[in-house]
This record gives sequence, structure tokens and C-alpha cells, in this order.
Amino acid sequence: MSRSCAALAELSGVADVPERIVLERHRELRSPAFFRPARYAFLVALLALLVAGLANVFGQRPATHTVDTPRAKLELYAPSHLRGGLLYEARFTIEAHADVKNALLQLSPGWNEGMQMNTIEPGPVGESSRDGDLLFTLGRIRAGTRFRLFLEFQTNPTNVGRKTADATLYDGATKLATVHRTVTVFP
Amino acid sequence: MDIVLRGVAIFVFLYVLMRAIGRRELSTLEPFDLILLIVLGDAVQQGLTQDDYSLTGAFLAIGTIAVMQLLVSYTNFRFPRLRPLLEGEPIVIVQDGKLIDRNMRRERLTPDDLMSAARLQNIASLDEIAWAVMETSGSISFIKKSGS
Repeated sequence: MSRSCAALAELSGVADVPERIVLERHRELRSPAFFRPARYAFLVALLALLVAGLANVFGQRPATHTVDTPRAKLELYAPSHLRGGLLYEARFTIEAHADVKNALLQLSPGWNEGMQMNTIEPGPVGESSRDGDLLFTLGRIRAGTRFRLFLEFQTNPTNVGRKTADATLYDGATKLATVHRTVTVFP
Repeated sequence: MDIVLRGVAIFVFLYVLMRAIGRRELSTLEPFDLILLIVLGDAVQQGLTQDDYSLTGAFLAIGTIAVMQLLVSYTNFRFPRLRPLLEGEPIVIVQDGKLIDRNMRRERLTPDDLMSAARLQNIASLDEIAWAVMETSGSISFIKKSGS
């Protein structure tokens, strides 16, 4: 402010504009710092993130996958979107339309890679590997009966990405039903 | 490696979030704000170190946050042109005893909020204020009229 302006300001009792305050920038808000669209864009993105969370985009709400064949129905109830550290359950329900003499459940490696398998209930008759897949021997399931298998997991925090997690039901060497699915793990 | 990456992501997210929500939210520390701060800290910690209880993990997490803070601070100092974006700018909210409504609205400040801050500076009336400026920290600085 010039000397005459300062003197005028003093006479009127109004202090000079504080140092480093530029009225055009700090009163009229003409500065990149006050660029509203950027702020709104971020807030909208934040809101979209929350809405996506509510819409189960990031897990862990379970979904049902069902495959029904003449001999058996295989139903899987499990989340397909997860986040690091989450505990979750996968529930398999097998309904035998005809006698299944030697039920085998084959799980692709994506089921266990980067996951902690905490428990399997009821414990399968046998556990083994077939072509790199997990193979659970469940035993006989009589026609018209239902068999439920619960698997409890926890996702490792370092497990990020998308994996194939198929599940196939066999009767001995005969394939009965396959559930195709992928599991996406968010960081 | 994960902890460092998570630390960088959380720092950037929090930094942008704090810039976006506005300084008014930063200026007060009422009891509820204090609780929110603790909850926020806990939520951040879960995402940062997750199940890592190691000393190495803690060093990496704290080190990452410290380096990021240093980086922002140095960028602020070294590149003045970026300062308005990184730190924001002060906002004039009172000039010559008159409220600048548009700027008050922008920061969601009410005349009551302003006068509450003024009373803390022994200012009883709006007429005594020559300039009131909301600083980048969220605090309000007052310059009295000469003779007040």
C-alpha cells in the first residue's frame, strides 16, 4: 500500500492489508488453491468409493452359485470379493438326486493360495491332491439326502488380485457338477 | 515392501482428504473430534500394518510416513508455486468490520463461530476487527483496527 493510502487508512482507523495477504488471491479467492472442481471431484470420488463399498464391490457379502445336474445339485455360498485379513466362510451344499457312491470335491488352487484355511466341518474322509487341485473325499451321499460342508478361511494381507476358485463335484471318476468362479482380493 | 506401499497410499489419501474437507474441520479439537481422531488412528493402523506385529514393520510404517511428510514439507519450501495446492492459502473473512459472506460460507463458518474465536482474542465486537484471516492451519487471526 502506498504511503498516502497508509495515511488514509490510519485516518479512517482501518489497518493496512496484512503483509503477504493479496486481496485478489485471499479475499477474491483467485488462486489454484481455491479451485473448487478439484475439491468436488475428490469428494465425489470418495462418495463413489463408499457407495461401491455398500454395493459389495469390495466384498465380503456371500453369493450363491448353483449347478443342478440330473444326478446332483452343487450349491456354493461364499463371497467372491474379499479384502486382506478378512475371515469368511464357504458353504457347499450337495443334494444327491441319485446315489453318489464316492463323492469327491475338487477345489482349484485359488481356494487356498494366500488364504489360511482355519477349519473344515465336517472333516472329510480323506484329503489329497489331483493335478495340483485339492481333493476332499466326502464318502457316500444317498439319493434324496443333503450334505453340507463348511470351510472357514482368512485372507492373507499380502494376497491381492484375482484367482480362479472353481469347485467340482465327482462321483469317483465321474464329473457331476462344476461351479466356475473367480475370487478377487482387494488390498 | 507392502507396508511401505500401504504407508505411501494412506499418506496420500489422508493428505488429499484433509485438503478436500476444508480447514474448519481441522481447527477445533472438541471432545468428539478427539474421539474421531483416535478412531481414525486405529482405522489407519489396521490398514497400514495389518497383522504385522514386528518392530521392523513398525519402523517401516513410521519411517514411510516421516519421509512422506518431509517430502511434502521440502516441496512446499522448495517450490513456492506448489504451496497453494499443497498447503492452501489464507482466506480473508472480515475486512473493516464487515463479514465477507462468500468466504465465510466457503469455510462453513458462522458469525457465531467467528465471534467465539474473536472473544478468545479479547475482541468483543465485529467493529473492532480490521482484518480476520482464516489461516491454512484452520485458526483465525485477527488484526484490530488502530485505536480499538
